[in-house]
Amino acid sequence: MEVGSIAADLHEQEHHGPPTPNQSSRVDAQTLGIYLFIISEIMLFGAFFTAYFFLRVVKGDPWPAPGTTIPVGIAAVNTAVLVSSSFTMHWANVSAKNGNRPAMRAGLWATFFLGLTFLSVQINEYVHLGWSPQDHAQGTIFYGLTGLHGAHVTVGLLLLLFANIRANRGHFSPDAHRGVEIPGIYWHFVDVMWIFVFFSLYIL
Amino acid sequence: MRGLPDRKTGWLSWLSTTDHKKIGLMYIYATFLFFMLGGVEALLMRLQLAQSQNTLINPQTYEALVTMHGTTMIFLFVVPVLAGFGNYFVPLMIGARDMAFPRLNALSFWLLVFGGIVFYMSVFFTPPNTGWTFYAPLSDSAFSPSNGVDAWIFLIHLTGLSSVLGAINFVATIHNMRARGMGWARMPLFIWGILIYSYLLILALPSVAAAVTMLLTDRHFGTGFFDVAQGGDPLLWQHLFWFFGHPEVYIMILPVFGMISEIIPVFSRKPVFGYKAIAASTAAIAFLGMLVWAHHMFTTPTPIVVLAFFMLSSFAIAVPTGIKIFNWIATMWRGALVFKVPMYFAVGFIAQFLIGGISGVMSAVFPVDWQLQDTYYIVAHIHYVLFGGSVFGIFAGLYYWFPKMSGRMMNETLGKVSFWLMFVGFNMTFFVQHALGLEGMPRRIYTYQSGYGWDTENLISTIGSFILAAGILVTLFNAVRSVKTGKKAGNDPWNANTLEWFTPSPPPENNFDVIPRIRSAEPMKDIRREVAAAGRPAGSVAQPVAPGT
Repeated sequence: MEVGSIAADLHEQEHHGPPTPNQSSRVDAQTLGIYLFIISEIMLFGAFFTAYFFLRVVKGDPWPAPGTTIPVGIAAVNTAVLVSSSFTMHWANVSAKNGNRPAMRAGLWATFFLGLTFLSVQINEYVHLGWSPQDHAQGTIFYGLTGLHGAHVTVGLLLLLFANIRANRGHFSPDAHRGVEIPGIYWHFVDVMWIFVFFSLYIL
Repeated sequence: MRGLPDRKTGWLSWLSTTDHKKIGLMYIYATFLFFMLGGVEALLMRLQLAQSQNTLINPQTYEALVTMHGTTMIFLFVVPVLAGFGNYFVPLMIGARDMAFPRLNALSFWLLVFGGIVFYMSVFFTPPNTGWTFYAPLSDSAFSPSNGVDAWIFLIHLTGLSSVLGAINFVATIHNMRARGMGWARMPLFIWGILIYSYLLILALPSVAAAVTMLLTDRHFGTGFFDVAQGGDPLLWQHLFWFFGHPEVYIMILPVFGMISEIIPVFSRKPVFGYKAIAASTAAIAFLGMLVWAHHMFTTPTPIVVLAFFMLSSFAIAVPTGIKIFNWIATMWRGALVFKVPMYFAVGFIAQFLIGGISGVMSAVFPVDWQLQDTYYIVAHIHYVLFGGSVFGIFAGLYYWFPKMSGRMMNETLGKVSFWLMFVGFNMTFFVQHALGLEGMPRRIYTYQSGYGWDTENLISTIGSFILAAGILVTLFNAVRSVKTGKKAGNDPWNANTLEWFTPSPPPENNFDVIPRIRSAEPMKDIRREVAAAGRPAGSVAQPVAPGT
């Protein structure tokens, strides 16, 4: 303890700032911050799920709207694409921790392109569905939930793009890879949330 | 301070600051500005209602005033002013040098300011006039074609994002940056209040953010979330709105409970009674508060068993709330009470909040609520908890912490005059509204016939509201005057218990040169005891005498 604080003091003298404050938690503030943000995101999705279950359970309306269909097969393949991107993201993160830069960069790019594929298939689905959010409440809620999720995929892709640019510039090391880790946490959240969206809207 | 970049000075130092104290002060200035706007709106409404069939204000303007008053007080005053006090005092009370994310903190503040500006811009075209709850279908484009509703929607988006980001910042700060030795059971109770307030914001605000987004697409892109013709349901709005709206009332009171729990022990010269019970009841209120939203919807077509659940869960909240009130009274019991202005407001808070709590339990009985819904009884109830409770608590906090923020004391006499004007004015305004509600006067009506027997009570209420306003102005005058002419406060004018009083008033930019090790929930008491025992200067106690804790 004493040795540690002396070392910390020397460290401070090198860095000319006020002494670092005490850290009272094992989780650093940035990681805690993204988890808290994800809790609020879950509640945001929860409100749209409320709209969905309110329609189906409380009101007992049919799903999908009478005379319309939802293409389950393509969405199932697309789900597999998105879920596999979680594995590549994990690979990138582990590689960043181990200092394996080529694997980290391969993982980040793979995740980015898998995500981009998912988003393109979703947009293609919108084009070919044949009904719109204005047609009926089922359409509103379908486009509302998938659209909210698609917006989150887009944000995730931007974060990944940023991580890729930073990786190209030589950022990230085994000691400093928060720029991979935090987009990763967000990306896993987007994936898991899609599984709930998929099961509710397409399967149930 | 070697190696640090030059600090900006003048007004640029305020616009560009990431210092939690400056941001906290800007929150307090901005929100008090909105408080005055909301207050003027309230006074205009009371003027219109002073006599029956008054023609001072036309119905559209009156409904716009109702809407703007409610929205302003909730989204632009009580919630953000608590964030302001939190910003200033959370790092000081836990022994940190700033918040966990200083730049995010500045973003939160500016989002709030621009949310307020966007909303008030609607005054120049058509202000919204649906009431602060914006129930669909009234708020849908068919019935509210004007852009006032959209201005409100963007206010919710901007201030909501501001609050959620601020809340994440508070939680990360409180979890991560407490001084050495400050375990969970040694955190000041105000910190507990801000922590639970932040968790509630994170959990509840996304619901209303989603709801207003749905309303926005319904209004402009033809979606059918709330439109019956398309198969949507207006009741969904009420569920999503109140799933946020009820935790919101605890968001507006829990940090105030924390302030009261700091102030009462200091002015009773006794440790707080039942520290753990107060902290735990704060968490219990938050948990139960998430399960009671439909007690705002007792008159909607909902099965009786659901109504009974929401009635019972609402009753249950009275238990942890009662625990707090008994703890505060037990703290004062046989204490050496010092009646300074913060204590006046704290005691006034307890009395008035108790009345508001009791009328809340009454209206939680759903058959009773069927009678009381949308009457002035509910108006009286909400103002007893929100004004008699939250605002009196905020004034207690202002008088208590003003010396720390400005370095100078506020005038005691003016403070007491302000308290008595506010106390008498408040109760005069709102106590009679219970009677008006029971006599059947509906809320949000712009005028009423003379034959109903509501004239005298309305006149009393209006006179009371102007006395209340005079009381508020005395405090504002006192604050402005004391910044320049108040007597110097010194580090610790109240002989208080918590760490913010360890540092000079106002605190330097780095808050503390040394951060003492914390050994109890009342670190300043330990420090004073050590100083007295050893006869050493206060700074030297920062070095722990014995290892451990």
